[in-house]
Amino acid sequence: MQRREALKSMLGLSVAAAACSPFPALANLASANEDIMAQFATSFDKAVLNNPNLIGLKSMSGDIPWQNLTIEGKLPKALRGNFYRNGPAVHQRNGQRYTHLFEGDGMIQHFNFTDTGIQHRAKFVKTNKYTQEQAADKFLFSGPNSKLPGSLPVNKTDIINAANTNIIPVNGELWALWEAGSATAIDASSLDAKGLVNLGENTRYGNSLKGLAFSAHPKIEADGTIWNFGSTVTGDIVLYHLNNRGITQKVNLLKTNYRGGMLHDFLITQNNILIILPSLDRDKTDERLFSAIRFNNSLPMKVLVIDKNTLTLTREYQVDAGFAFHFGNAWEDTDGTIRFDASLYPNCENLHHMSDLMRGKTSDATPANTVLFTLYKNGSAHKQTIAGISEFPRVYDHLTGLQNNLLVTLSSIQSDVWSDSVRVINVNNGKQDTFVYGEDFLVEEHVIVDNSHQEGNGYLVGTALHVPSKRTCVNVFKVGHVSDGPVCRAWLGQALSLGFHGNFLTL
Amino acid sequence: MNFLTLSTLSLSLFILPVSAQTVQFNIEGIQHDKGKLYIQLFKGENNFKKGKAHNEAIVNAKKGQLTVTFNNVEPGDYAIRYFHDENSNRDFDNNMFGMPIEGYGFSNNAPVNFGPPSYQQMTFMVSNVTVINSSTVNY
Repeated sequence: MQRREALKSMLGLSVAAAACSPFPALANLASANEDIMAQFATSFDKAVLNNPNLIGLKSMSGDIPWQNLTIEGKLPKALRGNFYRNGPAVHQRNGQRYTHLFEGDGMIQHFNFTDTGIQHRAKFVKTNKYTQEQAADKFLFSGPNSKLPGSLPVNKTDIINAANTNIIPVNGELWALWEAGSATAIDASSLDAKGLVNLGENTRYGNSLKGLAFSAHPKIEADGTIWNFGSTVTGDIVLYHLNNRGITQKVNLLKTNYRGGMLHDFLITQNNILIILPSLDRDKTDERLFSAIRFNNSLPMKVLVIDKNTLTLTREYQVDAGFAFHFGNAWEDTDGTIRFDASLYPNCENLHHMSDLMRGKTSDATPANTVLFTLYKNGSAHKQTIAGISEFPRVYDHLTGLQNNLLVTLSSIQSDVWSDSVRVINVNNGKQDTFVYGEDFLVEEHVIVDNSHQEGNGYLVGTALHVPSKRTCVNVFKVGHVSDGPVCRAWLGQALSLGFHGNFLTL
Repeated sequence: MNFLTLSTLSLSLFILPVSAQTVQFNIEGIQHDKGKLYIQLFKGENNFKKGKAHNEAIVNAKKGQLTVTFNNVEPGDYAIRYFHDENSNRDFDNNMFGMPIEGYGFSNNAPVNFGPPSYQQMTFMVSNVTVINSSTVNY
C-alpha cells in the first residue's frame, strides 16, 4: 500500500474497530458518575449474610494447591484421568463488583482421578488483565457489562479476556475459552497460562485471525476435529475448522446482520454447522453488553445451515421465538432432515437473572426446557418439549454431530436459585432418570466419561456446592443408574465459586 | 514510491506565517524496533473526518520512546493519529472483523475504550507557544 493510502486507512479502520467490536461503544465510560460496581458490592455483601445460597457467587481469594479429597463410596477403577473445569472466580475487588456473572476472571479447577483417590488444585488463568488487577488489588478495566469509572483503555476485546467459560484439551495443552476473544493456551502440567492463541499463526491466514472471537463452545468430533464460531454485536460471524492438533484449516466470515448481541453456543451435524440466532434485540440506549439485550417475541429464531466443506450458508430456517444459551447435539437423517435439541428459554430473563444474582437478588426467571427441533428439507420445522427444567446439556463425546439417544442435563426440582439435580433423558421416548441432590446443593455441569462408545455405559462426573457445609464435592454416577445416586463423592475442604464448563480427559 | 523515512524527525514541509509554532509529539511505549511509525497531523475536525492530513511523517520504530516534531504549524486546533507498521508492509493491519492488530494511538493519549476516541478527545490548540503532546501506543 502506498504511504498516503496507508495513513488514510487509519481513520476507516479505527471506525471499523468500533463498529465491529463485540462490545458497544462506551463513549462516556470514564465519566460515569455513578459507581454501579460499588453499589453491586454493597448490595451483595448485605444479601449474602441472609442468603447462604449466594456463597457460590463469592470470589476465590487465590490459587489452591493440591489437596487430597475425602471420598465417600468407591471410586470406579475404570475412571482415571483429569477433570478440568473453568468458571469466573473473581467477582469483586476493593469494594467494587462486576454487574454480571459472565465477567469474572477464569479459574481452572483440576481434579485428578488416580489409584490413590482424587486430588484437587485450582489456578487462576494468569491473563494480562488478571495479573495487572491482582497486583493493583483493584479492578483496572471495565468489563463487557460493568462500567468501571476511570477504566484503563480497552482497545481490543482480549484486553479484558477473562478466559472464564470453558476448557478443552488441544494437542497436549489446554485452551481456556471465553466468548468474545482469543483462546488462552494453558500448560496442562502446571496450569500456567502460555498466552493467547493466534489461530492464523503458521497458516495461510497469518495475523488476520488475531484477536478474533473464538467461542467457548467449540464442537469436537470423535477424531478430534474442532469446529467453532465467533461473533460480534454487528452480526459478523467467523467460522473455524481446526484439525485435531488445533491447526486452523479453514475460516470464513458470514455477515448475518444479526444484532441480538448474544450468540453463546452452536451445533454441528455430519455435514453442516448450525448457527441459531435467538430472538433478541439490543437496547441501543444502554451502553452495557448484557443488560442491553432484550427479548423480542416477534422475532423468530433463525437457524443458519452452513456447509462444513465450504463454510458457506446453504439454508435458513425460522422457528418460534426463543432463546438458548446451550445446545446438546445435532444430527441429520439420510434424507437431510436435521434434528437438534436446545435448553430453550421462552425469553431472556435468565440472562438478566445472572446480573441480579451479582447484587444478591434472586428472582423467578422463567427456566429452560429441553426442546427437540426437527428441520425438514421442505423448510418446515417441528418442535417437541420434554418436561422438566433443563440446562447444561451434554452428550457422549463420540456422538458429537451424530445421532444421540441419551441427553444429560441439569435440572431443578426444589431450588429456585440454581440447578439441584442431574438427569439422563432418552430423547426417543422422553424417559428420564434423575438424581435430586436437594435444595442444599448448587449443582454444576456434569460430563459423560466413557471409553466404550456405547450410550448407557460409563460415568457422569460433576461438581456441586453443598451450602450448609460450605464445601464443594465432585460426584460420580453410573450413566445407566443415575437415580441410584453417586457411586462416589469426594469432598473439598472449601466451597468453590460456581463455574461453567469443563471436560474429562481419560488416561 | 518514495517514502520519507527518518529516525527522529524534524519536518518543515510548509511555508507558513511567522506566527507558526512547533508541535512536539512524544510517542511512548513502543514495544520493539521493527517496522515504522506512520504519523498524521490534522487541522480541524472536517479534515480529520476526511482523512486529509495537514502534515505526515514516517519514522523508524525505536523501542521505548521517540519524538516527532512538526515545525511551522499555523494556529488552530489539531489532532494526531499514528500507527506502528510492525511488519513493514506499509499497511495498518487488522483482523477479519476489522479490528487493529498493530499498535496505534492518538494525541492527548486519547483513550480507546470499546472504540476509538472522538476528535474532541484528541484535539489540541496551537497558538503562540510550542506545543508538547504525548501518547502511549495501544498494542
